[in-house]
Amino acid sequence: MIDIAKIAKVVDDAARNAKAIPQISAKHKISVEQGYAIQSAAFSRRMARGETQVGIKMGFTSRAKMLQMGIDDMIWGRLSDNMLIEDGDEINLSDYVHPRAEPEIAFLLGRTINHPCTAAEALAAVDAVAPAIEIIDSRYKNFKFSLADVVADNSSSSGFIVGSWALAETDLSNLGMILDFNGRPVQIGSSAAILGHPIRSLTAAARIAAAAGEPLQAGWIIMAGGATAAESLKPGVTVRNSVQDLGFAGFKVSD
Amino acid sequence: MVKKSDPIKTAARRIRNAVNSARPCKPIRDLIKKDDLEAAYKIQTLNTETWISEGRRPVGRKVGLTAKTVQKQLGVDQPDFGMLFADMEFCDGDEIDASLVMQPRAEGEVAMVLDNDLLHEQLTLVDLLDSVAYVLPAIEIVGSRIANWDITITDTIADNASSGLYVLGTKPVHLSDIDLRMCGMVMENKGQQVAVGAGAACLGNPLNAALWLARKMVEVDMPLLAGDVIMSGALGPMAPLSKGDVIEVRISNIGTVQAYFGDGT
Repeated sequence: MIDIAKIAKVVDDAARNAKAIPQISAKHKISVEQGYAIQSAAFSRRMARGETQVGIKMGFTSRAKMLQMGIDDMIWGRLSDNMLIEDGDEINLSDYVHPRAEPEIAFLLGRTINHPCTAAEALAAVDAVAPAIEIIDSRYKNFKFSLADVVADNSSSSGFIVGSWALAETDLSNLGMILDFNGRPVQIGSSAAILGHPIRSLTAAARIAAAAGEPLQAGWIIMAGGATAAESLKPGVTVRNSVQDLGFAGFKVSD
Repeated sequence: MVKKSDPIKTAARRIRNAVNSARPCKPIRDLIKKDDLEAAYKIQTLNTETWISEGRRPVGRKVGLTAKTVQKQLGVDQPDFGMLFADMEFCDGDEIDASLVMQPRAEGEVAMVLDNDLLHEQLTLVDLLDSVAYVLPAIEIVGSRIANWDITITDTIADNASSGLYVLGTKPVHLSDIDLRMCGMVMENKGQQVAVGAGAACLGNPLNAALWLARKMVEVDMPLLAGDVIMSGALGPMAPLSKGDVIEVRISNIGTVQAYFGDGT
C-alpha cells in the first residue's frame, strides 16, 4: 500500500528545503497515476501554507524529449504564486537543488477552458503571450527519475519568469528563441520545437486538465514547455530568453 | 630519378575522380600536413579552376562550419568557404535527382544576393548591409566526396567545403524588414520536424558569416562581386537525406522553400 500523503510530504519538504531525495520508485512501485496523486497532495500542502495556484506547466513537449523518455504524452505540473519570479529579479542557488533554465513561451488565459478544445478555441481563450523561462529543478539526486517520480515532483517545476505580455495575435509557429547566459547564447532554437506549434501545448493542457477535473481557469498562466534543452544555472549568471517578435524575459543568479 | 608527384594535384585529382565516377574517395589528409589549411584551399582552388575551364559558371560562395559545435568537432575556430556553381542551383518546389549529391544532408539557411562588389581591404558590416540586395530562404544540400563523411578540416576544405547543391526560395526579402539574428528556422522532412534553430546559430548572426566571407575573399584576392550569391551557413542541425524525401525549410519573416528528392525523371 502506498501512503500518498506521506510521500507527498517527503517531496514537498525536499522542494521547500532544497534537499535532494532518492527516487521514490527506488523504494515504492508507483504508477504515473499515483505520481499525479502525490503531486496533487504535495501542492495541497503549498496551498495550506497560503500559496495560490496561478497556472500549470507542460513538460516533455518536444518529440525528442518524449523519445528520450520513452513516453508518448506530455506531463504537467502546477504553478503557484510563490514560484513566480519577477522579470529581472535575482534568485539564490541555495533555494534550489540543481536548477536549470529552459526557454519557453507563456500563455495568459482570458477565459476558462473546461473541456478538451480545438486549437482555434484555445487561441480564442488566450488573452496574451509572453517570452518566459522556467526554472526546473528535480528534487531527485542527480536529476535521475522515472516518469512517475518526475510527475510526483511537480514535473520538476520550481520557478518561472514571464516577460512583457504581447498580443495573442502574434504568429507563434516559428519564433527564434535564444537563451543566453551573460549575453552568450547557450541554447538556440525555435518555438516550432514545442510540439510543432506552442498552441498544441495549450490544447494538450486543456485536455489533460479537464480530464484531471481541474480545468484551466481564466487568469491562469500556462507554460507551454521548453523549446530547447535545459541549461544548468551557475552562480553570478544573468539569464535571458529572447523570443523573436515577443521580447525577452530574464533574471539573475546571485554570486 | 623518380619525379615526386605534387600532393596538391594528387589530392585535387582524387576528389575530381570521386565526382566523375560518382564514388566517394578516401580522405586527402594523408597528402598534406595536418592542419595545413592553406594547402587544403590550394586543392579546392585547383579544382575550381579546372571546373571553370570545363565550362562551369561560378555564381557565389558558401560559408561552412558556422556553428560553434561543428567548429569544435573539427577542432577549428573559424568557418570555411566553398565555391557555388550555376549547376548547383535549384528553385523552390523543384524535383531534384537525389543521386546528384553523394551522401547528402540538408540544412536550412539564409541566402544573400549582392548588388555591389565588396573590394575594400577593411570591409565593415555597413559595407555589407549596403551591398545585400535581398535575402532568400534556402536549403543547402551538403555532400561529401570523402567516403563515410570521414573528414577533418583539411578534407572538407579541399572538397569545396562539402558543398552539393542549393535550393532557393523565390520571394526576395530586404534586410530592412527582418532581424536575421532572431529569425526562427524549422526544417521538416515529409512533414516531420527534423531540425529547429534560429539566426543566432550561424556565428551569432548570418551577417557575421557573410562578413567573414567577404573579408576572406578580399584577403585571398577573389573578392565577392555584384550578383554573387552567398549561402551563409546553417541555422540549425543538418539532417540526413535519401531518395523520396521532401525537405521544407521555413524561416520566420523570410519565407519557405521546399524540394522533393526523387530520381530526376
